[in-house]
Amino acid sequence: MKITRFQKFLMMNPFIQAFKFVYLSVKIMFVVASGHGSTREK
Amino acid sequence: MAKVVILGAGIAGHVAAAHLKRKLGKEHEVLVVSPNSNYQWVPSNIWVGIGKMKKEDVVFPLQPLYKRKGIGYKQAKVVAFYPEGSSQISKAHVSVEYVAGDKQGQQELIDYDYLINATGPKLAFDLTPGLSPGENDTYSVCTYGHATEAWHALDTLMNKVKSTGQKAKILIGTGHGKSTCQGAAFEYILNVEKVISDAGLRDKFEITWISNEFELGDFGMDGLLVKYGGKNITSKEMVESVFEHRGIKWITKAGVNKIEKGIAHYENLDGKQKEEHYDFAMLIPAFSGHGFKSYDENGEENTEKLFKGFMIVDADYTPKPYEQWTVQDWPETYQNPSYNNIFAPGIAFAPPHPISKPRKSANGTDISPSPPRTGMPSGITAKLVADNIIDQIKNKDGKLHHKGSLGNMGAACIASAGYGAFTGSGVSITTYPIVPDFKKYPDSHGRKLGKTFGDIGLAGHWLKLALHYAFLYKAKMKPFWWIIPE
Repeated sequence: MKITRFQKFLMMNPFIQAFKFVYLSVKIMFVVASGHGSTREK
Repeated sequence: MAKVVILGAGIAGHVAAAHLKRKLGKEHEVLVVSPNSNYQWVPSNIWVGIGKMKKEDVVFPLQPLYKRKGIGYKQAKVVAFYPEGSSQISKAHVSVEYVAGDKQGQQELIDYDYLINATGPKLAFDLTPGLSPGENDTYSVCTYGHATEAWHALDTLMNKVKSTGQKAKILIGTGHGKSTCQGAAFEYILNVEKVISDAGLRDKFEITWISNEFELGDFGMDGLLVKYGGKNITSKEMVESVFEHRGIKWITKAGVNKIEKGIAHYENLDGKQKEEHYDFAMLIPAFSGHGFKSYDENGEENTEKLFKGFMIVDADYTPKPYEQWTVQDWPETYQNPSYNNIFAPGIAFAPPHPISKPRKSANGTDISPSPPRTGMPSGITAKLVADNIIDQIKNKDGKLHHKGSLGNMGAACIASAGYGAFTGSGVSITTYPIVPDFKKYPDSHGRKLGKTFGDIGLAGHWLKLALHYAFLYKAKMKPFWWIIPE
């Protein structure tokens, strides 16, 4: 996998990344705050 | 009135102290014993190591905060454990030695009703001869002091290269065959590369990654299959693409076993001894337990009941091959099976086994990562331990209702790939679960796709910066700090 010039533009464009920031914040919160628990209890 | 003693004031110890005090109030005593006078937000040390943050940005003194919040504090290190009491005190206690102030060098016995061992790891630089921060041109970013020293050395080297036009070599990665925390080294190498590029010196530096991982992107997590840009890719492909893009060379399957000035000696999985030359190196040491001793009520040593390097908890420590490992091996309550009033969250507990497949070189040397247990799981496990102790104090039913296995817990790793408001970037990776569950997710390398995803870009830098401020706000216990999740 190679990072292309277009991908680099998307990665560093502040306007696009501002939306990405909101999206990632929500998604990360969903993953880490969606609970944890046992693996032994049925 | 119950007395809860917490050993250590890192992420796990501090989180436990904060929640215990908030929920137990003045009725019960919470006492923190730590040799460190400051709380440090360790994930931001990499920015101290490139001169973008100062020590003051990542630390704050513990004593004033604890005094304000009614949490007891002694700047001391634990010396020995007496979980059954001793001839001096019948109640369970620890002996501690003060490391600063008027009482420096004096020992004291501290009794407890509940004990939380959050002493974290010992940075075992001594396991690699010649590896010591500030010696032989090797440095570390494991503490803010080490990171400050690393930046001074890197800055000096950059100035030398600038003035002489000479080329220089940088080596970053792991400094032992069993090291962990590849993530921190990964962040540091990308940040160093950016600092050098920003200074217009990139063509003068050869930057090399060295690690004990079988392949790039292992991170001590056995690698990941992540959702990235709508596709499923491996963490190996992700890290390779970043390194190729930044012109960083890599050496994997390497167990560094000796450091001489400017030379890292290592053995690879083929059993060959090799060396890599450098002008500046940042190598993460092996982590080990602190070598604590424990004694029964008669003064007989019973360390084997409490420690197995790190502290023994409710894990399944039966030795078994990689193919038979399951998520059920991992602890859920972090309670010691011999003494039910002792707990060890964060990095202080002994893991049942690594997460990455263990590998030995042709000479029998272990060359594979130890399991990483970083900030987020440390905070989560500390909070659940605190909640179980609170339940026991208030309800006295002896049951542990709060459980959190690393096999049923998600985590996020926001790895900085360069600092800068509009030029920075970060690699954001989430994983669920932390320890792969191959039975539940057999087709996606033990993890749930979607909840295990990756992203690279400027937003990652902003996220890492936002987490820096949010977690320091939380650690300082400012208004509504408990709303911010661990």
